[in-house]
Amino acid sequence: MTRWLTRRLLLAVPVVLGVITISFVLMRLSPGDPARAALGDKANQAAVDSLRHQWGLDQSLWSQYVSYLGGAVRGDLGRSLYFRSPISALLEQRLPVTLALMLLGALFAVAIAVPLATAAASRRGGVADHVTRALNAVLQGAPTFLVGGLLLLFLGVKVAIFPAGGYPASLGGRAVALVLPALTIALSIVPLLVRGLRAAMAESLTSEYVAFARSKGLGERVVRRRYVLRNAGVSGVSILGIQVGALASGALVVEQVFAIPGMGSMLMSGILNRDYLVVQGCTLVFGLLVVVVYLLTDLAYARLDPRARLA
Amino acid sequence: MARADEPSSLIPSVPTDNASIWTMEEIYDTLLVPSADGLKLEPSLATKWVQSADKLSWTFTLRDGATFSNGQPVTSADVKFSIDQNRKEDAPFYFLDAVIKDIKTPDAKTIVFTTKTPWSPLPSTMALFANSIVPDKYGGKSAEEFGGAPIGSGPFMFDHWTKGSELKLVKNPKYWDSGKPKLDSVTFTVVADSNTRSTQLAGGQSQINEYPPYSTIKGLQAQPSVKVDPFPSSEVDYFGMNTSKKPLDDVNVRRAIAQAIDKEAIRSAVLFGNGQIATTFLSPATWGHSTAAGPTFDVAAAKATLAKSAYPDGFKTTLVTAAGNQNSNSIAQLIQANLAKIGIQVTLQTLDPSALRDAKKAGNYDMTLGLYTTDVIDPDEIARFAGTNAGGSQLLYTFFKSDELTKLADAASSDENQASRKKSYDRMQEIILDQAPYVPLYYAPSVYSYSKKLQGFHPGATGNYFLKNVSLEP
Repeated sequence: MTRWLTRRLLLAVPVVLGVITISFVLMRLSPGDPARAALGDKANQAAVDSLRHQWGLDQSLWSQYVSYLGGAVRGDLGRSLYFRSPISALLEQRLPVTLALMLLGALFAVAIAVPLATAAASRRGGVADHVTRALNAVLQGAPTFLVGGLLLLFLGVKVAIFPAGGYPASLGGRAVALVLPALTIALSIVPLLVRGLRAAMAESLTSEYVAFARSKGLGERVVRRRYVLRNAGVSGVSILGIQVGALASGALVVEQVFAIPGMGSMLMSGILNRDYLVVQGCTLVFGLLVVVVYLLTDLAYARLDPRARLA
Repeated sequence: MARADEPSSLIPSVPTDNASIWTMEEIYDTLLVPSADGLKLEPSLATKWVQSADKLSWTFTLRDGATFSNGQPVTSADVKFSIDQNRKEDAPFYFLDAVIKDIKTPDAKTIVFTTKTPWSPLPSTMALFANSIVPDKYGGKSAEEFGGAPIGSGPFMFDHWTKGSELKLVKNPKYWDSGKPKLDSVTFTVVADSNTRSTQLAGGQSQINEYPPYSTIKGLQAQPSVKVDPFPSSEVDYFGMNTSKKPLDDVNVRRAIAQAIDKEAIRSAVLFGNGQIATTFLSPATWGHSTAAGPTFDVAAAKATLAKSAYPDGFKTTLVTAAGNQNSNSIAQLIQANLAKIGIQVTLQTLDPSALRDAKKAGNYDMTLGLYTTDVIDPDEIARFAGTNAGGSQLLYTFFKSDELTKLADAASSDENQASRKKSYDRMQEIILDQAPYVPLYYAPSVYSYSKKLQGFHPGATGNYFLKNVSLEP
């Protein structure tokens, strides 16, 4: 296990380096001057040149790259060109918000997908199965911003159970404010989760070990919980882990719709303002998140399925 | 107030984004302030301003009793320090203070600006947000520290700023304009999605929605608790042509194009009937605006004008616009259809906004769209920016050359008589209409939707919210 973990962590290094390099190169190759974008058309060239110098943009690409890498290793991701704040300070404020959103989204997704998949798998071809498939098709086709907008309108204004966007100062207020955005993200990954769980459960329900468990006289509820769900859960964990990318991109859209000050809105601002270091910092963090989640997914898989070996 | 963008800085001489600027205008004062209609200047921290007989200096007198929110009186030393920040060459709005040679403070209430040349627009630059008055030497703090907890003499004081979420201002009890502000606090929230902003206003979570899309105005007007107002702004949207490239170097080609564009159709499609179609390049929100009519939409006349050019049968060209901008896309398609009727085949292209800016500056385009606004109410800024080669944009990147335009702008800025200045600006506008390096399309309004419980809300033509005049019914 230790050897496996060490190998995986070492393998993460070139992945992270690759993410840093690609985002660095892509941003620098994008047309447009961030200093001019920040100062507007009317500022004179002296002001633009001064800002470029201040931001180190007049140095060679290689110098900028080496300087950035050196800083990143020390935990210094530079300063936002637009907000004039250290990136690390911005990430400190915004990353927990996005992580909370993604985690809540994942929990909601599981809470919705498991009952749906169970109902669908219990009687294949039955009413529940058809309804679940139809719901899946609708959710898969509906864009995240549309689902979020509709939830906002109905539950935030018409029925007004939840706030219509925003992120208040109080902890309780924030928890409530994250419900609709997290639900929106959850609904975007429910179709894939339901499909995977339904197939795994259906297979499990017709397996020999379930037939044996029933023949021993175990109640259906016990059979489903101890044998069906547990076995299907293994593939569910894998699917959920792979969806971390979808959770992150969902957070990016949802933060815009619900005015949540997370990393998604920070990244959008960085792209529009040519704020190189914000984009690089956010990309790095998302890259690290994917690496960590894949690692945890493999660990969870090995824990749930004794037949699996960490190789 | 729910706004799409977040402020970037609250240090007056630093930011160029509207979210920062219009927030700062509630915290700080300037020496003078534009009237809501943008047509004249009114006293603010200064009550008197006089140009010397030789026209090379302006003397401003501060009002009695004005203090910063911490109780310190506002003095001439504070004014000199503040304006010196915008006189640094790397300040984005340095170009508006570049004419100032020296600032002297003979006493605590008097500031004397000496200018390099006679300069009539100076009072209007003393209403510029970048010339907002801060405590001398930022009250002993660094600029960055000061920007984190700014102190001004304006109607509101800084309370807190949760980046990405909200910025709150509270009433300044020491504000010199007694009885104001009427509001206890103002919170600016960052809500990027326009539908969410509308939803929050409808649900009572906010009281002002800044810039709802034009397409939603009719729907908003139908809501019982909400008002929608298209306030006058200084924004002018235009269609530009690169006169350094053939065939757009031919004046009859440009005139024909100006006659072939159906501006009313554009106003209808893009502004949904709001705003006004544009004629001259100086907006009606400035006293320099000329009422000269310019070319009217007439396809037959356009064909006849094109027949006088070296390209009577038309030609192929490209129109490049900013990617992701729905308004630009719509306008480009309409112009493409308009010009096809006179034989000009237009291929549409889009570029990333930053890339488009670079292309315009380098002259790597044929035709494009753009917009400009003014930062001061004096016509000089836009007369130079959009009317002269050396105004910073090569005449809106059309590279049109005219010594007469430059001479007119110089004559106007050194003339102290507004009526004769207006004649110079009228002549500039005639030349641009006649030579048509670019075609002003429409004067865009500044649209706000807000709660009917809000009284006195009337943003100025340069964007100031003037929240000190606003009250909220219970």
